[in-house]
Amino acid sequence: MTDFRQIENNLKKEAKRLLEAGEVAVVLAYGRGYDEKHPMPFAAKAIAHVESLVFNEYCNFNMARYLMRYPWGTKIAIAAKAADSRAIIQLVQEEKVRREDLVIMGIPAYGMKNQKTNEVIDSKTTGGLYNPVIYDILLGEEIHGQKIISPYEVLAEYEAMDKEERWAFWKKEFDKCIRCYACRKACPMCYCDPCFIDQNKPRWADKAPQSPGNMMYHLTRFHHLAGRCIDCGECSRACPVDIPLYLFHKKVAKECEEMFGQAAGMKLEDKPALVDFRVEDSDKILE
Amino acid sequence: MSFEPKILGIACNWCTYTGADLAGTTRLHYPQNLRVVRVMCSSRINPSFIFRAFQLGADGVLVGGCHPGDCHYNTGNLYARRRLAVTKKILEFAGLEPGRFRVEWISASEGNKFAEVVQEFTAQIKELGPQQKLKIEQLQEKA
Amino acid sequence: MSRIGVFVCHCGLNIAKTIRVSELAEFASTLPDVVVARDYRFMCSTPGQEMIANDIKEHRLDRVIVTACSPLMHEHTFRKVIEKAGLNQYLLTIVNIREQVSWVTSDIEEGTAKAKALLNGAVYRARLLSPLSSRVIDVNSDVMVVGGGIAGIQAALELANTGKKVYLVEKNSTIGGHMAQFDKTFPTLDCSACILTPKMDAVLQHPNITLMTYCEVSEVKGFVGNFDIKIRQKARYVNHDRCNACLACTEKCPGKGIAEWDEGLVKRKAIHIPFPQAVPQKPVIDREHCTFFLKGKCRLCEKVCEHKAIDFEQEDTFTEIKVGAVIVATGYNLMDTKPLVQYGYGKYPGVYSALEVERLFNSAGPTAGKVTMRDGKEPQAIAILHCIGSRDKNNYEHCSRVCCMYSLKFAHLFKEKTSADVYQFYIDIRAAGKGYEEFYNRIIEEDVKFIRGKVARVAESSDEPGRLIVEAEDTITGKFVKLPVDMVVLSPAMIPREDSKDIGRLFNLSTDKYGFFMERHPKLAPLATMSEGIFIAGVCQSPKDIPDTVAQANGAAAEALTIVSREKMELEATTAMVNPASCCGCQNCVRVCPYGAPSFNYEKGVSEINEALCKGCGLCASVCPTSAIIARHFTNEQVLAEIEGLMEF
Repeated sequence: MTDFRQIENNLKKEAKRLLEAGEVAVVLAYGRGYDEKHPMPFAAKAIAHVESLVFNEYCNFNMARYLMRYPWGTKIAIAAKAADSRAIIQLVQEEKVRREDLVIMGIPAYGMKNQKTNEVIDSKTTGGLYNPVIYDILLGEEIHGQKIISPYEVLAEYEAMDKEERWAFWKKEFDKCIRCYACRKACPMCYCDPCFIDQNKPRWADKAPQSPGNMMYHLTRFHHLAGRCIDCGECSRACPVDIPLYLFHKKVAKECEEMFGQAAGMKLEDKPALVDFRVEDSDKILE
Repeated sequence: MSFEPKILGIACNWCTYTGADLAGTTRLHYPQNLRVVRVMCSSRINPSFIFRAFQLGADGVLVGGCHPGDCHYNTGNLYARRRLAVTKKILEFAGLEPGRFRVEWISASEGNKFAEVVQEFTAQIKELGPQQKLKIEQLQEKA
Repeated sequence: MSRIGVFVCHCGLNIAKTIRVSELAEFASTLPDVVVARDYRFMCSTPGQEMIANDIKEHRLDRVIVTACSPLMHEHTFRKVIEKAGLNQYLLTIVNIREQVSWVTSDIEEGTAKAKALLNGAVYRARLLSPLSSRVIDVNSDVMVVGGGIAGIQAALELANTGKKVYLVEKNSTIGGHMAQFDKTFPTLDCSACILTPKMDAVLQHPNITLMTYCEVSEVKGFVGNFDIKIRQKARYVNHDRCNACLACTEKCPGKGIAEWDEGLVKRKAIHIPFPQAVPQKPVIDREHCTFFLKGKCRLCEKVCEHKAIDFEQEDTFTEIKVGAVIVATGYNLMDTKPLVQYGYGKYPGVYSALEVERLFNSAGPTAGKVTMRDGKEPQAIAILHCIGSRDKNNYEHCSRVCCMYSLKFAHLFKEKTSADVYQFYIDIRAAGKGYEEFYNRIIEEDVKFIRGKVARVAESSDEPGRLIVEAEDTITGKFVKLPVDMVVLSPAMIPREDSKDIGRLFNLSTDKYGFFMERHPKLAPLATMSEGIFIAGVCQSPKDIPDTVAQANGAAAEALTIVSREKMELEATTAMVNPASCCGCQNCVRVCPYGAPSFNYEKGVSEINEALCKGCGLCASVCPTSAIIARHFTNEQVLAEIEGLMEF
């Protein structure tokens, strides 16, 4: 694996080159925060900004989130780790961004860290891939030989739970929700404006941070992201009350993959699974 | 008094609703716990309708549509199949009893199937007892 | 605040027997925004309708709820009532307490409780209804008839005689259908061809009919008043504009194919017309049996054709036809009885299917009307077996309705043409029809033997080689019968055409479990379908005889006429629309719509819906994550309110 410092150097070098040549108008990557542990999403729009770019083990944001801030036709270079690259693919499928507008700077990585817990972000909380699914240039060497652990393995414990136990688990988790909506803010797929939960016509759920409204918000959001969630885990890392949303998303992703034969954000030519069908889909999926 | 569940039915206009009418026309008796909402197509069903129904106290939800391939709108129920399957998985992983939500394809000619499904589903819900997990207890909490 | 009127119908005792209707009306008056609630014996009667109209005026009602039978029955009636009284027709709500409550329970407590819940849901929903305006569209005045059997022919002629332009589409190379295969028709015994061929010819000659034989429907777009239908003209390899029907080609042709018209009893040429009176009287080449197509050499037909009509290069062509209404009359097949091995069809040459026997009687058939069997001999004893595959839970539960009568006809014709003993093995004789019972009595007089019992098995005789033994229990005497015969005639179940499901899919018709097309209502709309503007006639709907088929065809023609005789018509207003302020530009609606109604406006970044293409299924509304799409009359608010109302009681 390429050293993170080396990746940072490559990032700066490529950003400089692309901006200098006028190939892109903006480079979406990471910038210095108030300390090394808290880098920030950063948009470099001029050569002078390049020096502020950083890359270290805490650079775990999914930068695809920021692509939709720019109108079509804006040329954008974007730093993309494995999950980020899947988000890009998914957004291209949904025509929110155009592939031709992007220069994807792939970052093969493992050992990214959660700044809150200092834990390594691995297949337990994210997709379990090391290399970007799609890229134009690589900022480090691809990682091979690492053990691949299914991102769904972590679910076994929860699937084995008795339904009463599982209900109690989720009820407790969702009851914690303070409805700050950091999850949807961090999610690269949550681009709806307005979000259903903010609407008054119809009023899908209570807006107060109480059990029924929380349940409605989260369950509906899981459905909206079904077949689209690329398992980056950003929602859970953003959550101030540590609701393990990634677990639910992983479960839905696993079911979708089993039922529909495709995982989100893996192929540009796929259609999002819930606005698609196959005549030969089995009725078994309803059992 | 024995437990009389409230069951929400959502039926497509062309097949299942007409099938339900046929059950009536042929005087097939079935339990009266089901209350049917008519929509034009099973694909009209927003997953939130189902979540909401459980919050409002439904003990079970039964969705009825045309058989795949026979949808009045050609492909509506093929989308519905996927969307409702995901709805079911979400409810199950949240901890709701899987038997409380069911999707059935019932054509306009299957009055007897409609009656049988309602019979069977009602019995199943009675067995499961009242649905209390998602149900909103205090009325003022209702949105 | 709205002002709702609730009208509870007793439907005589249909509803009042298992629902306490006055209690229901009282309950209604306690519900929010309900200003008047009444119950009445028959809401659909004139006094009932007047009661509603008066209350609308007197109580300034702005919503009406009729608690009665299924909306599929009377929604239209009551919409008209409230519209006449000055209310928008979409402010009506029907609560179905008959088909879905009073008829499905015998318990008045249960019935009343459920009716209350349904009514509460309706009140919640009604408060949120909006007036909608119907779209007015131009109506194309032409009609397409699919299927050129007697039903299609009759419907096409009726319509053409009113001055409408008709496209008659037939997949075979001739019109005529099964009726053209028959020899005589029951109970009058008039010759089938004599009554049918003048009609076939009239179709060909009619200035208002475009006859499209050897054609199939390949795509149907549009909606009532404006169908857009793509027709595939299958390659005939004969240019019919040049052909003068001399048929010299058919004499020279060395190719041999199965004569479908003669039920495969003989062979026919590769270039052929199916039967002498075929319409049009022009041949087609059956590619699978043509020596040239098989071996690359021959072209004899081309050589003998003086008009240079043979065209081996011909390919399938497609035409788009616009019509305002469609009549589907695609007819039937007889069930393949080979899988019913107990009857030995296909195993013993002496076992015949009913249509084969029709051809044996027919003077244009393979034996020129002589009853000789596959071995060339005349039968001495004949058994006619009723209900083969029909009235049979293991195969087709339905009665095929015509077999009793044609079996009697067969008996008569056998008696007329042979000296054979004729036995009928029947379950019961169904002779309900004008002159049918009389015909049955006449056949009894003709020394035909009737054995009441379903045949268990047809076997080869061990004593007399070549003869067959028919085994059955005579349910009148209770004795087991073993009857030696030479010929066995099976009366197989009438079933829909093998492609009826595909036709159903093309035209959006529901089919029953066997593939017969479903009518809109079994009694009151037997020719209409759930697809507006598409009608059905003949056996494609269910088995029936020629008189009933013709009557249905006339009826379907009249139904089609009610559409195409109008210049403009109103369409349902329940389409979808986009609220651009809430559209997030995800394009889910564009991806899912089967009709291409939504499109994405890239400039504005929002979806737009072309309401002329929208059929109101509501799929787009449910895949819209921001609820920007409003499915009119089935909005999220309306459905949620109804659910809330239903779950409250």
